[in-house]
Amino acid sequence: MTTMIKKTSAFERANHWIMAVSFLVLAVTGAGFLYRLEGLNSIFGSFQNMKTVHNYAGIVFSVSLVLSLFSYLGEALRFDADDFIWLLTLGGYLSKKAKLPPQGRLNAGQKSFYLFLIIAGTAISATGYIIWLVPTLREWILISHLTHNISFVLLLMAIPIHIYLGTLANPGTFRIMVYGTVPVEWARKKHAKWVRSMEAGQ
Amino acid sequence: MQRKTLLISPELCIGCRGCQTACKAWNRLPATKTANKGSFENPPDLTPYVYNKIRYVEAPSEANPVRWLFISQRCMHCEDAGCMKICPAPGALFRTKEGAVAFNKDKCIGCKLCIAGCPFNIPRYDEKDKISKCHLCPDRIAGGLEPACAKTCPTGAIAFGDRSAIIAGARNAGYRKLYGEADLGGLGVLYAFKESPEFYGMNEKPAIPESIVFWHNVLKPLALIGLGGAVAGSVLHYLAIGPKRDGEGGEK
Amino acid sequence: MTNHWIDVKNADVILVMGANPAENHPVSMKWIMRAKEKGAKLVVVDPRFTRTAAKADIYAPMRSGTDIAFMGGMIKYILEHNLYFKEYVVNYTNASFLVNPGYKGPGELKGLFSGYDEKTRKYDKKTWSFQMDEKGLPKKDPALKDQNCVFQLLKKHYSRYTLDKVSSITGTPKEKLVEVYKAFASTGKPDRVGTELYAMGWTQHTVGTQNIRAMAIIQLLLGNIGMAGGGINALRGACNVQGSTDHGLLFHILPGYIPVPTASITDLKTYIEKLTPKTKDPKSVNWWGNRGKYITSYLKAIYGNHATKDNDFGYAWVPKPDEGINASWLMLFDRMFKGKFEGFFAWGMNPACSGANSNKVRKALAKLKWMVDVDLFDNETSSFWKGPGMNPKEVQTEVFSLPACSIVEKEGSITNSGRLAQWHDKAIEPVGGSKPDSEIINELYFRVKRLYRKQGGKLPDPVTKLTWDYGEKGPDGKIKKMDIHRVAKEINGYYLEDLIDKKAAPPKQLGKKGELCATFVHLQNDGTTSSGNWIYCQSYTRKEGKVINMMARRKKTDPTGLGLYPEWAWCWPVNRKIIYNRASVDLQGRPWDPKRAVIKWNPAKEDPNTKKPGVWEGDVPDGPAPPMSDEKAGKYPFIMRPDGMGALFGPGLADGPFPEHYEALECPLQENLMSKQRINPAVKLFYDKAGGVPEDIFFSYDIRYPYVATTYRVSEHWQTGVFTRHEPWQLEMMPQQFVELSEELAKEKGIKNGDKINVSSGRGKIWAIAVVTERFKPFKVAGNTVHQVGLPWCFGWQYPEDGSGGDSSNLLTPTIGDANTMIPETKAFMVNVEKA
Repeated sequence: MTTMIKKTSAFERANHWIMAVSFLVLAVTGAGFLYRLEGLNSIFGSFQNMKTVHNYAGIVFSVSLVLSLFSYLGEALRFDADDFIWLLTLGGYLSKKAKLPPQGRLNAGQKSFYLFLIIAGTAISATGYIIWLVPTLREWILISHLTHNISFVLLLMAIPIHIYLGTLANPGTFRIMVYGTVPVEWARKKHAKWVRSMEAGQ
Repeated sequence: MQRKTLLISPELCIGCRGCQTACKAWNRLPATKTANKGSFENPPDLTPYVYNKIRYVEAPSEANPVRWLFISQRCMHCEDAGCMKICPAPGALFRTKEGAVAFNKDKCIGCKLCIAGCPFNIPRYDEKDKISKCHLCPDRIAGGLEPACAKTCPTGAIAFGDRSAIIAGARNAGYRKLYGEADLGGLGVLYAFKESPEFYGMNEKPAIPESIVFWHNVLKPLALIGLGGAVAGSVLHYLAIGPKRDGEGGEK
Repeated sequence: MTNHWIDVKNADVILVMGANPAENHPVSMKWIMRAKEKGAKLVVVDPRFTRTAAKADIYAPMRSGTDIAFMGGMIKYILEHNLYFKEYVVNYTNASFLVNPGYKGPGELKGLFSGYDEKTRKYDKKTWSFQMDEKGLPKKDPALKDQNCVFQLLKKHYSRYTLDKVSSITGTPKEKLVEVYKAFASTGKPDRVGTELYAMGWTQHTVGTQNIRAMAIIQLLLGNIGMAGGGINALRGACNVQGSTDHGLLFHILPGYIPVPTASITDLKTYIEKLTPKTKDPKSVNWWGNRGKYITSYLKAIYGNHATKDNDFGYAWVPKPDEGINASWLMLFDRMFKGKFEGFFAWGMNPACSGANSNKVRKALAKLKWMVDVDLFDNETSSFWKGPGMNPKEVQTEVFSLPACSIVEKEGSITNSGRLAQWHDKAIEPVGGSKPDSEIINELYFRVKRLYRKQGGKLPDPVTKLTWDYGEKGPDGKIKKMDIHRVAKEINGYYLEDLIDKKAAPPKQLGKKGELCATFVHLQNDGTTSSGNWIYCQSYTRKEGKVINMMARRKKTDPTGLGLYPEWAWCWPVNRKIIYNRASVDLQGRPWDPKRAVIKWNPAKEDPNTKKPGVWEGDVPDGPAPPMSDEKAGKYPFIMRPDGMGALFGPGLADGPFPEHYEALECPLQENLMSKQRINPAVKLFYDKAGGVPEDIFFSYDIRYPYVATTYRVSEHWQTGVFTRHEPWQLEMMPQQFVELSEELAKEKGIKNGDKINVSSGRGKIWAIAVVTERFKPFKVAGNTVHQVGLPWCFGWQYPEDGSGGDSSNLLTPTIGDANTMIPETKAFMVNVEKA
């Protein structure tokens, strides 16, 4: 029997999926507004409803974003030499032979992605609130609208990659966000520093 | 169908505001309680129920105590309409076949982005958060009538007609260039100004905010390209390099 | 109007003085702007820079109440610079007439004309007469040199109106005066025409009539009367004021401007003899010579078969005031105030706001036993008993409110300022229990008549003998439903017998018994025709065998291109659009200005009626007679005047044959700069040295009320605002009483734009929102700075119900009237303004 090690808490996993679902809803409805996809009326009934869904999904997303800070922010901000080397090696994704420096619970890629998510997510959330709540402040709206949309474009590019890396590209990764546990050996290969610290702590 | 156009001639306007009342009568717009704040101009601004109003401007004059200008203010029905560009709700703002920018309150989602998109500060929202502005009386025009304001105007300060005829008429009256003739793809409301537009409190070069133009022309296609790129990149990576299997790569 | 609305487009210079058409007659601006497009100059003279002034080519500010000084200066300018139209002046005006050598003017008599009696404040006009020759015709000097001729007297009179003096009185800068004079005097040439538009800004003064007279002199000097694009044009304050005046609204005239008989004239023969103007000049048409026909036909119209030759056509039944009784507005309310009335009908009137010195009017209403208010809405008059300062418990007046319907809820005619009678249809049924005025009158008439029948009375005949044949009668004898067409037909009149022209060979039938009369030319003094109003004869007539409502015609053809539109509706008299149009041609009948020919004599063409060569083409001429140069049949152009001439010298008025500047009752000056006589010496004073009621008090040159004030209307409201204040859209645009004042005065008084301030006069006090504006500037008068303020009079306490509108500015205006018409002087009085 394989020894398993717990990598994510139930709270983290729940929050991940809350964010994931709210983002998906926001992305679909947002695209609906951006490209005036009237076909979405078959789902939402009307653009008015879609706007309500978008707005409230935005609340869920932004709250989820804030909650995620407790899980990842401290870790994500701690970059060491290994992390930089990891990044320079591009996480070894372009070469099967590449050797990577040992990583903590989050590898440098995950840290970077999280930091990006925080920045883009905060930008899109904050500007979303501005557009929603103070729509008559014309100058603010113009900046917000632009920021909201730039963030959207970036997220729209980042999220499919995130999904790919979390699933097909790294077999065995997806279960982290399902069961929260990974085999120790798997972890030792990918997050050596973290496993070592766990073992030292025991 | 020829695009229909209003021509506003402040030189002919006598500030009687028959247009304000006629608009309200035809469009069944309620009145609001106002107060005199030391000016004839009332209500002081466009509201969801004031589609058009006369601005009273007291400009300096050499011969007289003042030059008193009366300028009709309302939606300009831009050919290149910022409001329509930015509006996320299909059908909320639409172009009539006569070229006006009309609205459908049932389709409006109350996001108010059109306020930001308008170079002329025109759209207003009613208490149900639905857009309200001059729509050039599409029901009247469809019936072969002119908009209520133009019909009521006693002096011809608000003239309505086919765009080419309106422009030709103004040329005959000695106006070499009309305000709005070329701006924003040609405004649906032209002004016959004797002085510079600034004199009448109008923007010399009205334009849709650059951020909206950038968003519309660059970001919207870019979002699709980005999404497509990310997905395609992932697929390519999977096929060309493939996933990290156990034993491959890994840490030192 | 001598001309009509559309005709303004034909003018080269449009002088707007005493009016504000952009705000009060906005539709007229269509024609003004059209004239301007063709190069005409718009000249606006007004104390305030108005919305009309905003469109002006020349604007001249002028202190309220100094119009005659302003125009006197213009007359002097025209004469001095020889800018008058000599041929016109010599042939068409009384310039050449020699005046009684006993006549003396204000230059010689310290501001008075000869014949003044200080005790009665009246003139004996004996010396204001012409010298007559042995044939009974006025003596003339066509060279205009005789020192007693009108022209020389005119010159002498206005020689006192120098630029310096006029500027000092009016506060108008001298260069502005000259600019205006020059522009308007440029129309003294045959091919240049100027028109004048006035309204209450001229009439509502103690010198109101003379204001208009002064302009008449100018227009006659410049040859602008009778011309397309010329004339003197009164812009009426309501769509049908002209119509109501035509139909005898005023106390002293019967329909068609026939004088009301006074008690001393006891029979029709005497009435006709005394009141029919006469002339011995065969060239003078003297149209009023037909007065006997018109009064007789009128009596036949109102008393029908009861009016017979034997009973003087019912002349005795016509109500007659005692000699010297004046029943004008101010007098009525003065008598009411003194408790001399029992009852009062306020019919489409809101005197509690519109009456000068409204406080007095409101107090007067409380002295009545009963009052009936007929209106669309409850208003300050019908609710006076619960108004400001009233204790409802103490007011004993019983008020009845009768809801009247609006113009769109009934059909009928309205006559606009251009004398154009237009028929309008009913658009919707009257709402609620409201009724057309005619139905209300019908009810009233039936009930009063029934009471007379039941109870008798001192003199029932004037009521019981009236014809009242306006529809089908019910079993009780009441007309079930008023047919307004029958009223219109009665006004037009009928042939009561066949009318035969016996002079024609063979005798020709002109009219058939029972048919509608074709023209007032056919009216008779023997009871064989009827006409409720002779000037409306032809308005509802029979043409080519068919009954035609001429007022309902809607054909848009304009054969002359002058905008006469002869087949659109119908105007009195006999569809003549420009009156005195015979003055628009030279002695041979050739138009002074061929480009704007109103009429022209075509000597070659055969007259279809007389079968003789020579016929007028164009507008309906002032009579078919050939041009004046025709020795035998030629006629003078001013057919309504006994001598046929335009009157530069006008001996008919109460206060002088030439207009003379007097200050308003309340003015900022201790002395009239023109003479020792400060105010018009012929006005009736309600408060004089002997005192009077405190309500009538006035303060002239008084430190307590140092600012000149005037009242006006705004485009957004109509009259006292009873219609428009109930119209939320209008109220939204003009929500509150305001007072316009200059930045200089505001600074002096510490008032800021938008402040709520108090405006007070000797009679009352109101609050108003300060509109501090550069459009009002202080005047330099007699070397001193004089401030003027202005207020609209369209607000009242009763509506809006929260009182946010304020109250009528007529609470401030004085009890004083014009010397001739008694129209109240609400356009110039003194007030104080203070921060509230």
